[in-house]
Amino acid sequence: MSALLEVRHISRAFRTTLAVDDVSFEVQPGELLGLIGPNGAGKSTLFNLIAGVIAPSSGQIIFDGKPIQGWKSHDIARVGVARTFQIPKPYRQLSVIENVMLSAFLREKSVAGARKLAETTLADVGLAGYGGSPASSLTVGLLKRLEVARALAMRPKLVLFDEIMAGLTPTEVGAMTKFVAGLPARGITVIWVEHVLYAIMKTATRMIVVNRGKKIAEGTPAELARHPEVVKAYLGEEMDLA
Amino acid sequence: MNTLVQLVLSGILVGSVYALMSIGLTLIFGVLRIVNFAHGEFLMIAMYGAWAFTHLFGLNPYIAAVAIVPAMFLFGAVVYWLIINPALDKPHLVVVFATMALSIFLQNVALMAMTADLRDIPPIFNHSLVVGSIHIKVELLLGFVITLLCTFALQWMIRKTYLGKAIRATVQDGEAAMLMGIPVPRIFLITFAGGSALVGLAACVMVPLFSVFPSVGLNFVLIAFVIVVLGGMGSIEGALFGGICVGVVQSLSSYYVAPAFGQMFFFILFLLVMIFRPNGLLGQQGAATIGMNE
Amino acid sequence: MSTETIPSLNPARMAVFPTRGRISWFEIGLLLICLALVMSGIASNLQDVLLLSFLFGGLALAWNIAGGYAGLISFGHSAFFGVGAYTSTILAVRYGVTPWIGIWIGALIAAVFGAILALICARLRGPFFILSTLAFAEVVRIGALNWSSLTGGAEGLSIMPAPDLLGMVFASKTTYAALMLFYLVAVYAITKGLEASRFGYYLFAIRDNEDAAGAAGVDPLLGRTAALALSAALTGIGGSLFAQYFLYLDPTYVISPELSFQFALLPAVGGLGTAIGPVLGSFLITPLSELLRSYLGSSAAGLHLVIYSFGLIVVMLYFPAGLAGALEKLTRRGRSP
Repeated sequence: MSALLEVRHISRAFRTTLAVDDVSFEVQPGELLGLIGPNGAGKSTLFNLIAGVIAPSSGQIIFDGKPIQGWKSHDIARVGVARTFQIPKPYRQLSVIENVMLSAFLREKSVAGARKLAETTLADVGLAGYGGSPASSLTVGLLKRLEVARALAMRPKLVLFDEIMAGLTPTEVGAMTKFVAGLPARGITVIWVEHVLYAIMKTATRMIVVNRGKKIAEGTPAELARHPEVVKAYLGEEMDLA
Repeated sequence: MNTLVQLVLSGILVGSVYALMSIGLTLIFGVLRIVNFAHGEFLMIAMYGAWAFTHLFGLNPYIAAVAIVPAMFLFGAVVYWLIINPALDKPHLVVVFATMALSIFLQNVALMAMTADLRDIPPIFNHSLVVGSIHIKVELLLGFVITLLCTFALQWMIRKTYLGKAIRATVQDGEAAMLMGIPVPRIFLITFAGGSALVGLAACVMVPLFSVFPSVGLNFVLIAFVIVVLGGMGSIEGALFGGICVGVVQSLSSYYVAPAFGQMFFFILFLLVMIFRPNGLLGQQGAATIGMNE
Repeated sequence: MSTETIPSLNPARMAVFPTRGRISWFEIGLLLICLALVMSGIASNLQDVLLLSFLFGGLALAWNIAGGYAGLISFGHSAFFGVGAYTSTILAVRYGVTPWIGIWIGALIAAVFGAILALICARLRGPFFILSTLAFAEVVRIGALNWSSLTGGAEGLSIMPAPDLLGMVFASKTTYAALMLFYLVAVYAITKGLEASRFGYYLFAIRDNEDAAGAAGVDPLLGRTAALALSAALTGIGGSLFAQYFLYLDPTYVISPELSFQFALLPAVGGLGTAIGPVLGSFLITPLSELLRSYLGSSAAGLHLVIYSFGLIVVMLYFPAGLAGALEKLTRRGRSP
């Protein structure tokens, strides 16, 4: 079975700093890949490279058999890659449901169809009652859920979650974790960047650790919890992460 | 060949004067992250002021600067207090429309008060400096010198004084600066008023070189924006560099290109810069990102 | 085509006050009042005010598609106005093409200019976009001024004042008023349709958060170009209509920064990003403007602009949502939760 996403020797330099340094990995369809690393490790840059916000300095990104490196973000979105933003970017002058409708328009060309898809998606993420509220009135936690809703309304093949847990209460974290864990069964492959480690360790089928732009480890959560490089990167000393 | 040297030289000198009027703009961009669309009209008002001083009191504009610069500082402070500050916490287009409206307001007040007639001052120095076959207007040279002095003084202030550090901190990250105890609102006020004072100084230097009329601001504000974009937002040296570039290009083109199209040529140049180098020649963040509040 | 793309005309679903995507009683009432004013026998100078209010209402709506809906604040729209006006007039005066056709050609050429502007400013945001629109309009103005063989230069271009249906010149001001009202209603209908459509939503998204729009599959450059082209075309049509009424064109007025400012001022005062806003703005400001002009005449050149700009500063700082916003606040208070 060929990989859904192949990242081959991707590098990205900003002036003299190498934010991403020769990173390679694959994601199979139906996987839930966790991407972790300390702050400044290059995770966001990696996401932005895959999502087409920036172009790589070298390397290739193959999605669904097509090379997408250098493509604009809207073209990448159209072939089935959705992403959330670490700092939510809602359309402030529109209502919550309209925010989701925008994404739904990728799959539903009529306003009525988009509205239906948006309603279903909002219910899916637990924002059913907020449809008519202005997006500007939502709290951070709800805005993060809105980000997830917008990504899912695109009926993507691959979704990139960028720290969707930050700012959520423990109950919300639990609910969201369960939700994300259920996505592969629905045919959505997930790459998940997260700082809330226990959530990602519980649900990821495989994980990649980056530090200082390089991939330093790859494996199952259990393997990585004992991996000395990973532990050192996060904590600077030997400690059990599991 | 001599013509070329003459053109390039006067281009550099004029360019430095353009730079002087742009420094205020680039500082305001860098610190407040807003554009004052009335910047050209601030210059126009100050130029009328300098002209009036010369006309009424027989003083030359360089002396008038002693009154004009503080007056413009005050003017800037009043505008900041009445218009800019209330607009800062509102959607970005409020400050756009408000300063745009201010620009139209000032232009038409000037039109009513002074009519559309061009105003000039009589030449201050009766001969140019002559070096070989190169002629240099003394007023131009004086403008160049004043600009350099001003730039050095500002650089010193930015690097050595607390105010300078506070300004640099605010440019880098306004929120962090505030958390560090820097009185950001006061920095905003000082920068805006200070930028206006610099425009006042530029006006005094420019009145011997250019005529004043109510809509003279439009030409100069476009020049100022090109300079700021070329040199990079918030950079004083960048403004000087950009000013000199613009001055030389204008000097060469007004000689080699048909005069009727001279003005249009400048607007086209502006658009070309916007298309090809919105990030400035020095590669700093520019037209693409400024003005975004998020 | 889904019924949702057409504003609902079902009376059971009609709103009282203007709402996005739906027709309201307010709008119908306003239309009836306008019709009544057109047909009543008001004085000639008042008829001038009326038809100019309609024309500028349409122009304000056209500007709003780019400025209010797509977030592309332009202070150079008089370029499109001028292109439309000059195209239809040159075709009529030099080549005998009837303005009824010439207007559409003018709209097309204005649309091309709009698209060019969008492409020039593809990477520009905020104040640099705005300044570029200013520069663009100035280039067009100076070009028109200097290309005398085409445009008549500073001497201007005149249309024969002989009433002629084919030449779109009318003896009666009532006919002009009806024509301008038709223009206003047409642009209004396009605007209402737009704000309920997928394309309209794309524009809002580009305006509110371009990065998010891109991530959702919306091509910002395409959206911006389409918005500016449409806005320019509609503005150009207004320009042609103006030419047919005023019967004289000269670049200094027709492609001026003052006129561009007016196109932006009306929606700003009336309420950006709404359909009714630009109309309200025109209905307030245009009569005011004509009033000021007639009372102050030529004695105080620029006084009316001094008053406007002062008013705009006040409105911007204290009523940023404009007249439409104030109206909405009033209706929200009056409606039960």
